Amino acid sequence: METTEVHTRVKAVIARVLKMEAGQIKDDANFIFDLGADSMQSLELVAAFEEEFGIEMDEDKALEVQTVSDAVDFIAGYLMD
Amino acid sequence: MTDRLLQNLENLQKIFYPQSLAVIGANKVKGTVPHDILDNILKADFQGVVYPVSPRETFISSIKTYKYVVDIEDPVDLAILVFPSSVCHMALEQCGEKGIQAAIIISAGFKEVGENGLARERQLVEIAKRYGMSFIGPNCLGVINTDPRCNLDASFARQMPEAGPIGFLSQSGALCTAVLDYAQAKHIGFSKFVSFGNKADINEIDLLYYLRDDPQTEVILIYLEEITDGPALIRAARDVIEGSGKPILALKSGRTAEGASAAASHTGSLAGSDEICEAAFKQAGIIRCADIEEMFNNAIALTYQPLPQNDRIAIITNAGGPGVLTTDSAIHEGLRLAQFSPETSALLRKSLPKTANTKNPVDVIGDARADRYNLAVSSALKDEGVDGVLVILTPQSMTDIDTIAREVCQVSSQFDKPIYASFMGEADVASGIDILQRNRIPHYILPESMCRAFAVAYRFAQSRDRRRAPIANLQVDSKKATVILEKAVAAGHKILHEHEAVRVLELYGLPTLPGALATSTPEAVAHADRIGYPVVLKIMSDQILHKYDIGGVHLNLHTDREVESAYGDILTAARTHAPEADIHGVWVTRMVEPGQEVILGLKRDRAFGPVVLFGLGGLYVEVFKDVVFRVAPLFESDPEEMIREIRSYPILAGARGRESLDIVCIKECICRLAQLATEQPLVQELDINPLIVHNQGCFVTDAKILL
Repeated sequence: METTEVHTRVKAVIARVLKMEAGQIKDDANFIFDLGADSMQSLELVAAFEEEFGIEMDEDKALEVQTVSDAVDFIAGYLMD
Repeated sequence: MTDRLLQNLENLQKIFYPQSLAVIGANKVKGTVPHDILDNILKADFQGVVYPVSPRETFISSIKTYKYVVDIEDPVDLAILVFPSSVCHMALEQCGEKGIQAAIIISAGFKEVGENGLARERQLVEIAKRYGMSFIGPNCLGVINTDPRCNLDASFARQMPEAGPIGFLSQSGALCTAVLDYAQAKHIGFSKFVSFGNKADINEIDLLYYLRDDPQTEVILIYLEEITDGPALIRAARDVIEGSGKPILALKSGRTAEGASAAASHTGSLAGSDEICEAAFKQAGIIRCADIEEMFNNAIALTYQPLPQNDRIAIITNAGGPGVLTTDSAIHEGLRLAQFSPETSALLRKSLPKTANTKNPVDVIGDARADRYNLAVSSALKDEGVDGVLVILTPQSMTDIDTIAREVCQVSSQFDKPIYASFMGEADVASGIDILQRNRIPHYILPESMCRAFAVAYRFAQSRDRRRAPIANLQVDSKKATVILEKAVAAGHKILHEHEAVRVLELYGLPTLPGALATSTPEAVAHADRIGYPVVLKIMSDQILHKYDIGGVHLNLHTDREVESAYGDILTAARTHAPEADIHGVWVTRMVEPGQEVILGLKRDRAFGPVVLFGLGGLYVEVFKDVVFRVAPLFESDPEEMIREIRSYPILAGARGRESLDIVCIKECICRLAQLATEQPLVQELDINPLIVHNQGCFVTDAKILL
């Protein structure tokens, strides 16, 4: 899968879970500090990413991911494996 | 004061009296910390402007909400951070950019969770330093200021406490909530209430200095779990007490011994961290309390009523038994029963029923109503021989409890002497107790607690105005001592050879005995002849620590032949019991007349630094543990107080007609040892056991120095 596709689908998932416009989401946005994700929403994001991409992520490591671009890289890594 | 302390004090004013504040990370979810903090601030009627900051909300509790703190147009004095720990540094960085100089970081997930958390905490400290900010926390309950000019409840406690004279500082947030609940039930009010959590930046030292100058605070209560800078705490406490007259009461956890059994010296094993803490608090003038109840018992005694000018109490009771119990407790606490003047006695006899006891303790008997209490309490307070009144009430069928309580309050307002009360019971006396508590009459369920609190207040009044100057340095040869110690450390020695230890003590002016190391029989005899008989011979070997146990010490040798024989016996014993030991020779020293054996020692404590020990010495030191400690450098009064504090002091002072021992000499030894403790950081532990004390003079007869 192309990175640009991963990128687009990650933002779409974030927009859906956090109930915001995908266009508002910047690449360097921090999930908590900029997008206001709380702990429950962080867990929802991890589950939604797994469902969207058909992967199973290490939850502890996934929750350490801070920004949108880091999430894209993290998921792309699973897809390459 | 350091620049950092001055900056923290300036910024603390913004923490307690902000004109505007931002709650960063606020949300709308009731029952969460970010929501409840904002809610508490609003409910407390904060006298300033509030800015919620939340990445996603446009308003919270009908207040416009900002995405970032830097988006707020107006200046902000205080930031309250409730974000998760992973992004607190980003929020604090923005606070710095915004020019905010004070913050409270409520969030947990820092030092207390391990290495990653510690790294995050250090990041916060670095950001604060870079921007000249100060912060309380992280990992704390928050801050409360009841001053009506501010009305700040920046905490997630369940309720804002009543305003009052107590400044409360706590390292534990959970304890804070329990304390607030306890205090609310007793109408105990607070001036400032601070949970300082991990104290990564602002710590108890900063807060003590702040409360020293806070006009709303009359007494400071502090709960500590760890002390990071003991000497600074002692200095701060002295500055507070001497500078403002405000008492400091402390609850310090960790009373159990730690690691003492593994210590290599007597001093090491006797000086556990809690004993040292106890000693340091005493030096600092801090009143240590065993539990929350005792802390508040003392706090209300120290603030609600005038301090007792002396220790003569009058007890007014309506029941004989409690009067006797109270008398016993008072005597046990070191108080005295006042002797009434003839005028007071005559008035009581004339006015009270014939069956009443008009002597102290005064029993106004079971059917007493408010008028009888009024008369007895007023008469006692008018008497110049009375320094305070303890009122006891037991609920009997005719006892008008509430009226008596009001009468006690009314009488109290007319005198500048303390009145405490104990209305014994629970259900029947509850409303009376409520009246007393609302009118600042210290009330105690148990007369024993009442007497203890009175004694604490009396002792504080006695000690408060005493200025304590540090001891002036004595003339010693510290440079030569340092050379000996450095050489030993360079050679990898963990224990100084005894003759070197004696030399170090000699250079510090301690009364050592003449001695010399012999490596042959003729040399031993020659040394003995020069030193003068009788002499003592001791094996010198790093591997033989317990010389007496293996026959390595021979005492009271009077002739050359005895020395020759002892020399041979000692070497044989050493070779038999420790064939691998490296033997340096035999130490020949003068034998002193028997005397009282005491111990002097020093140890380095992680929190407080060098600590000096004094006590009953010789064989009994481990059995009786009759020892006291002080943190060096000492105050002028410390050596005398140390000597008087041990239980065996009467033995030194000349019990049962015996001549007093040379206490002046012991005091000088303590001073010199304390100087060594502060000047020679290579010395980790030191034992002089025993120091033999005579009626005139004292002598170091055994010394051990650990490096």
